[in-house]
Formats: sequence, C-alpha cells, structure tokens
Amino acid sequence: MFMSLHWLKVAAATGVAAIALASASYAQTVRVTVAEYSSKTGPYFEKAASEFEAANPGTDIQIEVVPWDVLQQKLTTDISGGANADLAIIGTRWLIDYVSQGIAAPLDDYITDDFRARFIDTFLSPSVMDGQTYGLPIAASARAMYYNKALFEEAGIAEPPATWDELKAAAEKIKALGGDAYGFGLQGKEIETDVYFYYALWSQGGTLIEEDGTSGLDTEAAYKAAQIYKDLIDGGLTEPGVTSLNREDVQNLFKQGRIGMMITAPFLANQIKEEAPDLQYGVAAIPAGPNGDRGTYGVTDSIIMFENSQNKDTAWQFMDFLFTTEKRAEFDENEGFLPVNAEEAAMPLFADNADLKAFTDLLPSAQFAPVIAGWEEMAAATSNALQRIYLGEGEIQAELDQAAAEINSIIEANN
Amino acid sequence: MNRSIFTNPYVLIAPAFLLAAFIILWPLFQIGEISISNVNRFGQLRGFAGPDNFMAVLADPQFLASLWRTVIWTVGIVAGTIAISIPVALILNEDFYGRGLARVIIMLPWAVSLTMTAIVWRWALSGESGMLNSALMGLGLIDQNIQWLAQAATAFPVQIAIGILVSIPFTTTIFLGGLSAIPDDLYEAARLEGASGWQIFRTITLPLLRPFINIAVVMNTITVFNSFPIIWATTQGGPANSTDILVTYLYKLGFNFGKLGEASALSLLMFALLLFFTIIYVRLAMQGERE
Repeated sequence: MFMSLHWLKVAAATGVAAIALASASYAQTVRVTVAEYSSKTGPYFEKAASEFEAANPGTDIQIEVVPWDVLQQKLTTDISGGANADLAIIGTRWLIDYVSQGIAAPLDDYITDDFRARFIDTFLSPSVMDGQTYGLPIAASARAMYYNKALFEEAGIAEPPATWDELKAAAEKIKALGGDAYGFGLQGKEIETDVYFYYALWSQGGTLIEEDGTSGLDTEAAYKAAQIYKDLIDGGLTEPGVTSLNREDVQNLFKQGRIGMMITAPFLANQIKEEAPDLQYGVAAIPAGPNGDRGTYGVTDSIIMFENSQNKDTAWQFMDFLFTTEKRAEFDENEGFLPVNAEEAAMPLFADNADLKAFTDLLPSAQFAPVIAGWEEMAAATSNALQRIYLGEGEIQAELDQAAAEINSIIEANN
Repeated sequence: MNRSIFTNPYVLIAPAFLLAAFIILWPLFQIGEISISNVNRFGQLRGFAGPDNFMAVLADPQFLASLWRTVIWTVGIVAGTIAISIPVALILNEDFYGRGLARVIIMLPWAVSLTMTAIVWRWALSGESGMLNSALMGLGLIDQNIQWLAQAATAFPVQIAIGILVSIPFTTTIFLGGLSAIPDDLYEAARLEGASGWQIFRTITLPLLRPFINIAVVMNTITVFNSFPIIWATTQGGPANSTDILVTYLYKLGFNFGKLGEASALSLLMFALLLFFTIIYVRLAMQGERE
C-alpha cells in the first residue's frame, strides 16, 4: 500500500518534470508567409514578431516575405510538398480554392463577438464562406480616380468629371493643351487589366456574373463600357500603346505629371508623397454612367490559418495580436491601405485624410471579385478580349461575346 | 588481357548515370503521375484521370498557336545566333590590336542574368521613356515613339532579337574553340595555291567547323525552346496571348490558373517534342559527317 502510493508519487513527479522539460526545449514555432506590399512590409512583420515573442515567452514567430508576383506559385508549391507555413497572406479571391480543398482552417472557434466587432463588416464579409470565417482581412483597398490639378487648371477644367461624358470632354481639353500629357491613363497590360474595364462596366449598370450564373460580358452594358474606352483610345485621349502599359507604368506617368486622370488604389498617394511630393493631385469618385450607376473595385487580402498547422493556438494568438488597433494603424499607414478596423478608421490619422475619404466614400458601391472557382482564368479571358479590342484587332461585340462564352464554359466545367 | 570489372564502361558511367537519373528521371516520373491524375490546384492527387489532361491540352487552341510561335522563336533565334556568331568568331580569331578587349565585350552579356537583361530591355523598349526610341529619334530614323511591346508585330521580333543577342556569347565560345582546332598548315597550303578568302572559308573553315556548329545548334535549341525570362519579363506572353510560347503558356496553366494536371501533360509533350527533334537533328548531322 505504502509502496504503491510512493510509486504513484514518483511517477506523477516524473511525468510533470517530463512535460515541463518538453515545453521548455520545444518552442511554439509559427511560420508566417507574408506578401511583400512594399519595402516596409518585411520590417513591419519582423517587428511585430519580436514584440509578440517578447510578450509570449516560448513562442517563435518566423516570417517569410514573398513578392506578390510569385506568392501564389510559392504557396502552391509549399502546399503540394506539405511544407506550408502555419499562417499565410493570400488574395481573398483565391480563398475559395483553399476552402474547397480543405487547406484553410475555419476560425470561428477562435473568434469571439468582441473580436468580430473590431472589423468593418464590408471587409470581413468576403472571407466568410458557407457561414464560416476562413480568413481575416489583412489588407483592404478600393479604387478611386486620381486627377492632376495642375493640368486641370491649365486646361480650364473646374471640377473633376462626374460622368464618363465629362471625363471625355476633360481629356479633350488636356489633349488640346498640346503638351506631352495625356488625358486619361488606361491600363492595358498584366494583372487587373480586366478590373480597369469593370469600372466602366459597373457604371453602365453591368455585372460580372449575372443572376442566372452566367457571364455579364455579353450584355449591352459591357458593349457600351468597351465603346467608352475604345472611343478614348481612338480619339488619342489616352496614352499611346495602352497594351504595353501595366498599372505601375500608368502610375509612373501620372507621377511624372503626364496623365490627367487615372483610376487606381490608395497606395498611389503614398508613392506620390515619397517620389513626387510636388505633384498637385486630387482624388475623386469614379465617373458614373447615365443612370448614376457607379462601382469601385474592393479588394481584400486575407491572412489564413492552415488546417495542417501544428500550433493553431499560438498562430491564432499572433493573428489576434496583428489585428489590435495599434498594429493595424501602423500597417495601414505604412502601406497606404484602408483601415479595416472600426476603431482604427476613427483615428484622426485616417478620418482626417482627404485622399482616403474619397476611397471610403465609395465603399458602399464597392464590388468584390466574385467568389467563384476558376476566377483567374475568367479574368484572363476578359483581359485578352479587351486587349484585342484596344488594339483594334477585334469587334467589341464579337470579342466580348466570345469571352463570355469562354467564361460560361469555365463556370460549367467547375460545377 | 584480362580486364578488371572497374574498367568496364558501364561501371564507369554508373555514378554519373545514377546522379542524372535522380535529377531527371525522378521528377519526370512525378510529372507523369500528375499528368494522368485528377489533381487540385495544390498538387494533391484526386484519382485517376486517364488521358483527359492530354486531351484538354491538345484541344486548346492556345496550344497550337503557342506551338507554332515556339517553332518561329526557336528557329529564328538559333539560326540568327549561328549566322552572327560565325563571323564574330572569325573576327575574334584574327590577331588584332585590342582583341582581348573585344572578346570581353562580346562575352559580357553572358555574365548578366537573363532575367536582368530582359528587365533592362523592357525599360529600353518602353514607348514613353525607352532608350531605343530616343536613340532612333536621335539618329533621325523615326519621328514618333514606337510602342514596341504594345502589339505582337513589333514585340515578338524584338524578343527574338534579344534572344539572339544573349545566345551569341556562348555560341561564339564554341566556335572559337572549333577554330583553334583547325591546323594552320591547311590555311598556309591553301594560300600557297592561291585560294581566295571566300574559298578558304567555304572549303576549309566551314567543313571543319561543322561538328561545332552541330553542337551549337543542339544546345541552343534546347535552351531557347525552354527559355522563359525574355518573354515573361517583357510581355508576359501578351497582349492577348499573342507572344506566348509553350513555356510561358505552361506557366500560366500551372501557376496562374492552377491546372496542374494539364500543365504536367503539356510539359511532358514539350519534353517529347524536344527529345524527338533533337534526336532527328543529331542523326541527320551524324549521317552528314560520315559521308
């Protein structure tokens, strides 16, 4: 009797010691794959990691910074080799694949009501699928129209154009100046060539995917939208050779003061501040269509937790830490993203920023990329049709109808 | 004489063969497995698909269009490179003042990573601020900027020209090696007989350079056929896929669209194509040599 009790004590003590030893020598390692938005991204996450490690002894946060262009490739390769991190930033439009293949873990068990209340709902909702939250919006952005105030003044344009007709008139006045500046900066190459077209499409009352689940490219609204851009190109009101300029190329021309108007994201304001501080520019709403319709493109990137993560609790704690108001404000200020956190949006830093206000004002009309498998391929089909239209190699209606047919067959194949 | 087993040729090449097999055959086996499977975008196998992936690739009009462009791309660059490298090698083989410097200049592009070269060219070809346009304008050849990369009609020839430029150093090196292997007394004898420069080139230099030309053709074909950075950095195969070759189309299939099954099938087809044409060429060339 005595004996057995003694043995029990010894066994218990040994067990406790073993557990203590194991946890001391085995740090809770969380690997995080991070998209490089700018040169400030890496240092920001490294700093966040060391702050978190200091506050939570025994944790080890490892940050891997990956350029945006190769992010999808890197994640795919990591996942197929079973070597993925615990957390990763992904484009929210990719999330559906991660959810349907069981790669992303649902976060609802961790999310408390208090935590959920931190977010502006517009930005959290794209990461919710089938009633489960699979990601948190680490970066949020929308689009608005930048215009060059100096060029506007010189050309005698009083107000930024509110409609596409007014935009065309303004571009004509800028062209009439005869300098080396172009009226409207039109993107015709690489990622988001399709998005640049959607601004016009939404203003004509069009949609990307119609209610019957087919493409909205074979509609009057789409034909009219393409006609608007084609007229601008043919009238010499855009920069020449639009199919050789990607978003950064057009932005660079804008920074050089050679573009009257262009539609892009809030981060251009940050770039102008650093690279062309003397540029006189304003930010206005995207022009509306004849019925007052307008739409901006809302984009979020999500940070997700992998289903195969070994340290989910620690990973969640780090996510929680990243979404505190203070960390969010630091990140969004660095990168020029929109605040996703309600408390953060009320901070003077964001609330009193006139540029940002133009973006947040457009949020009620924000449209997100459709949550649909194969979206990247559909976007590519759209971009290809647009490039042929811009180059004059194809008729608007024929090209858009063909792209719509391609998109419909992709939708069918994925169902 | 009794030969030791350690001098048996098969034993001698075994280590190198095993290493090559590990590097080449194992991935080939993996790709083969993916190509006949249903596979999700993360490379996880989801059952047997039979020839579906191959059928999907062959039925895609982009495949044929890219294949045709790959032929133009490969033939254009390899032929252009050989045609330019022979005279360059002949000149660099002559003894002249500053030959060392000239050789360094010709070889320099080799030292720069292909991707960097391509990115620099992307800037140089920019319609608004590119060096090429300002140079042509300075020379009075054009009076308006040319948007080089805006359409395939100008973009693709320029890409081929860049491809030729970066292939010259390697090819010239092969030819310089070949030229130094031709004995000088052949030339001396020909000159004594009063042969002209062209006759010497046609009847002595060219025939003796043949094996080196064959090597240059085969090696350049293999590299150029699979060359990705030039096209990707300048146009990404656009506008509207009009400058896509098979390898850029493959990248889009695999990594942009996540169709890893079709991408694997396509890369096997590319491997087979390249192997087929290389073997045919090598056989033809060997036949020519024997005659």
